[in-house]
Amino acid sequence: MNITQQANGKAPDMPAPSSPTTLWGMSGPVRRRLSWTRAASAGLLAVLVLFALIGPLVWRQYAGQDLSQFLRPPSFAEPFGNDHLGRSVIARLAHATRLSLGLALLCVTTAGIAGVALGLLAAWRRGWVDQLLLGISEIFLALPALLIVLIFAALASGEMWTIYLGIALAQWVEYFRVVRARSLSVFASPAVEAANLLRLGPVHVLRRHLCPELAPVLLTMASLGMATAVLAMSTLSYVGVGLKPPTAELGLLITESLPFYYEAPWMVAAPIVVLLLLLSGLLGLRTQEVRR
Amino acid sequence: MTILSTPSPPPSHPAETRRDHSLTRAAGKVLARRAAQAVGVTLAVTITCFVIVQNLPGDIAFRIAAGRYGYDKVDASTAAEVRADVNLDAPAWQQLGGWILDALRLDFGTSLVTGASVTDELALHLTATLQLAAVALVLSVAGGLLLGLLAAQNRGGAVDRLTDAWVSLVRALPPFILGLVLIIVFSVQLGWVPAAGHGERGNIVLPAITLAVGLSGLFARVTRDAVAQVLESGHVHFARTKGLARHVVLARHVIRNAGVTLVSYIGVQVLILVEGVVVVESLFAWPGLGHALVHAVFWRDIPAMQATVLALALIVVVVSTLVDLAVLALDPRTREAQ
Amino acid sequence: MTIELLDVRVTHQGRALVDVPQLSLEPGRAVTLVGESGSGKSLLAHALMGSLPSSLQVQGLVSFGGERTPLQDAAARRKLWGHQLALLPQEPVLALDPTMRVDRQVAEGHPGFLRGRRGRLAALKEAGNRLAGLGLHGVQGAYPHTLSGGMAQRVAFAAATIGGAEVLIADEPSKGLDPVARDALAQLLSRHVEQGGSLLTITHDLDLARALDGELLVMHQAGIVEQGPARQVLAAPTHPWTRRLLEAEPGRWDPAWRNPAPETGAAVPLIEARGLAKAFGGRTLFSDLDVSISPGERLALTGPSGCGKTTLGGILLRLVDPDAGEVNHHAELAGGRLQKLYQDPAVAFPARVPISAGLRDVVRRHNVSPERVPLLMDRLRLGHSLLDRRPGEVSGGELQRLATIRAMLLNPLVVFADEPTSRLDLLTQQETVNCLMEQVAEQDAALVLVTHDVGLAAAVADRHLSLEEAVPVASGRDAIAPQGSR
Repeated sequence: MNITQQANGKAPDMPAPSSPTTLWGMSGPVRRRLSWTRAASAGLLAVLVLFALIGPLVWRQYAGQDLSQFLRPPSFAEPFGNDHLGRSVIARLAHATRLSLGLALLCVTTAGIAGVALGLLAAWRRGWVDQLLLGISEIFLALPALLIVLIFAALASGEMWTIYLGIALAQWVEYFRVVRARSLSVFASPAVEAANLLRLGPVHVLRRHLCPELAPVLLTMASLGMATAVLAMSTLSYVGVGLKPPTAELGLLITESLPFYYEAPWMVAAPIVVLLLLLSGLLGLRTQEVRR
Repeated sequence: MTILSTPSPPPSHPAETRRDHSLTRAAGKVLARRAAQAVGVTLAVTITCFVIVQNLPGDIAFRIAAGRYGYDKVDASTAAEVRADVNLDAPAWQQLGGWILDALRLDFGTSLVTGASVTDELALHLTATLQLAAVALVLSVAGGLLLGLLAAQNRGGAVDRLTDAWVSLVRALPPFILGLVLIIVFSVQLGWVPAAGHGERGNIVLPAITLAVGLSGLFARVTRDAVAQVLESGHVHFARTKGLARHVVLARHVIRNAGVTLVSYIGVQVLILVEGVVVVESLFAWPGLGHALVHAVFWRDIPAMQATVLALALIVVVVSTLVDLAVLALDPRTREAQ
Repeated sequence: MTIELLDVRVTHQGRALVDVPQLSLEPGRAVTLVGESGSGKSLLAHALMGSLPSSLQVQGLVSFGGERTPLQDAAARRKLWGHQLALLPQEPVLALDPTMRVDRQVAEGHPGFLRGRRGRLAALKEAGNRLAGLGLHGVQGAYPHTLSGGMAQRVAFAAATIGGAEVLIADEPSKGLDPVARDALAQLLSRHVEQGGSLLTITHDLDLARALDGELLVMHQAGIVEQGPARQVLAAPTHPWTRRLLEAEPGRWDPAWRNPAPETGAAVPLIEARGLAKAFGGRTLFSDLDVSISPGERLALTGPSGCGKTTLGGILLRLVDPDAGEVNHHAELAGGRLQKLYQDPAVAFPARVPISAGLRDVVRRHNVSPERVPLLMDRLRLGHSLLDRRPGEVSGGELQRLATIRAMLLNPLVVFADEPTSRLDLLTQQETVNCLMEQVAEQDAALVLVTHDVGLAAAVADRHLSLEEAVPVASGRDAIAPQGSR
């Protein structure tokens, strides 16, 4: 129908700014609400990043045991009290947050760079290169990320590099699939055909066509990927095949404090809250859903 | 749903028979592609596990012997026996070939920890996992569909906003934390259901709910978007102007078209479901594949790990195949695109 | 039954989009509403139908055979849908459920369809008869995506009318149809009128209005500016706006850019193709085809939808490989002296950057003097602020002119225009073609125009190449009937 058609912005020849067409459909209010959520998420993340960066400098002692401080309740100096070994909970939280964010960033950067590069390569070269990479990605698609991470954990349990490699290896395929598909459709688009007829060259295609098309998706994927990495790391520690104590890690903080949830509920609540805030901050940043 | 069933078609249509051929052809291509994927993943997992075994610290023969005869009975002679038995002195490529052949025959050897046949244990784990996954899937699909349909009918209304909030909430809620909270509230504090284990009545409640909650949010969101999009489409508007009542349009046009999106989405969901199964089973000590996998990883019981990973991956492949075939059946346009 | 609309006002936030004091539909008479896009003609039809979006407010009365109800009461009209009031939608391909066989989609509008098994069988039988009656034998079991636009239109017609509605509203029914399919459509609609139905057609296609005859209403800026018998209004328009609309028809153009004396092809051709053949989807589009394009000449490639015009264009531009034959480009065409305009200009610009960014790249890359862009903007009567927008935020006609500017920056020797105005209304088409041709004439470039609009081809080109309907590969018949210059 004419009306829905116009809502898609495909009206044949409407004077764009003054027409009421943009008010049909859902686009207006939805976009506004999303951007509000994103602003809140960005603010939340900023606070957490600040905590991860400055926290470990303020509360340096995260490993020092002092049994005289056993399960001390929160005070002004120790906002989350001390744990069962007398260690400062806030110091451990700060270090754990830094670890989670840092490792997640590293995983996502690695997976992102590899996936984007291979995706571009496949879309550019086509032929057997594309087929080979596509075949490999199909194998990874049958393996949920957590399984890949678990296999790596078996290789050398408890070591940071296995978790890093496992998560990165589990995530590259998403970037690869999305970048490959989008690049293929960009390369085949009339806009690129026109650019080639105008002899504008590869830099123009990269800068004006490919980057603007990929950037928002990649940013969304990166924030989702960081959330996945943070979650995977804490889940692994929680079920006992991730990092090992006395590392300060969110999943470990939760496991270690659980036996004392009755005597010191703040100790259990603190890492859970930090984990939830991290995840909702990262997930709230997304601009669109991504299907691979 | 009788409305959906169509009477036997009037006399044969040439166009129809041609289309049906395209369905068979497209289905054949899907099966071939998925079979290749299954073989590929089997090879990849097997080779990886073999490499890990080769690089395990300590003498692998001693580990296997310990698994078979118990730690107190391991000595050089039993290790030598194992070495000869499992052909550990053969060149690596021969051993790898053996592994692959065994894997294709679904023979994963014996557990390095319990000494039992991995394949036998696998069957038990698989049953338990399928049980849990089925209950969780039914709960989440039913809940998600209902919420999504209601939300799509009245966009921007109370149900829609509620669904939105629910989706955002459960998305940021890790399953292990949700499970933890459920255990503390319903098992420890209220004592309504057992916290963990298998075989008792009510054991399945908490793990199934934990899994279903996470899935239901996403399913509700996808249902809402898919149904809303179909409701806006030209053919639904046209169907209404033919004089068909709202519920008739819903049954005849909306459900099938939205179904194409929803069914494809189940393919994505199965990945999330498998990850959830691993976490939730460990948390609730539910004796399924996920629980077995975490155990195997913890004890570096590589044969058991290989078997469970493969079983979970093949579940993904099988579900994806069914999803592909269902989409082909639902949407004739995809048959040509194949 | 006579239907009368009184004091119809459709407003959006206080702004009047439709303001029509009176409109009546009578059995046995076609009423056609013409006007440019955005004149409110579609909204008027949807106000009558009761299918306006809820963000619009409507006032007025509608009377069905004397029984008056307020127009706001859309629910009252919804009860009439199918059996008294029917809508023939625009873009029939989108109006058919892609997942359902067409006979079921037609049958479901039959009153007996939901009344048990016997009713359903009867409805399906009737659907089959109606489809066959429209010349659609053997497609009952087909899915919509396998049909051509004209066939889909006929299926939609069967589906809309099977309920027996006397009043039929057709909303831009000829959109995207080629002349042959459009004439077939006009016949269908006329038949509905001859059988005693009443018809309200919304269109910006004057040829369709001419074919339907009946009463013609010309709409402009929310109101009706002229009305009367179609023949009379189209022959002797009284309102200045109607005159403008009629003068925008390609047949009446008298432009300054027309080639006074077409050259006779003595020069070395810029593009020369020999023995071209191409098959697609099991159909031969063309075979053993020779085409040459000389400097400064204007060639039109015409033919019905799906005949391979665009594919031939792609081959001539060396963007698509032919199955057989070869295409030679003159050395002078290297370096971007061969440019193309697209049917949908919105997809020919990078979607997410301002238009100025793309133009700046052209200026830099080819060392064009930067003053040429504002100069051309003025020449093509475009506001400079358009440059800051993204392609999706500019109307189709303006964007096509911007695409023309972009192409002209490279002083092309050949401009290839692929249906450049088929999505535009008459007035915008005239403005767009004028701008394009002024530039083509000024730069003495050759033009290849792909179009299914014979009138436009005649107005623009000196030489015509018409492709016939594609034929199945098996028959192997030569599908080409090249026609000489007129």
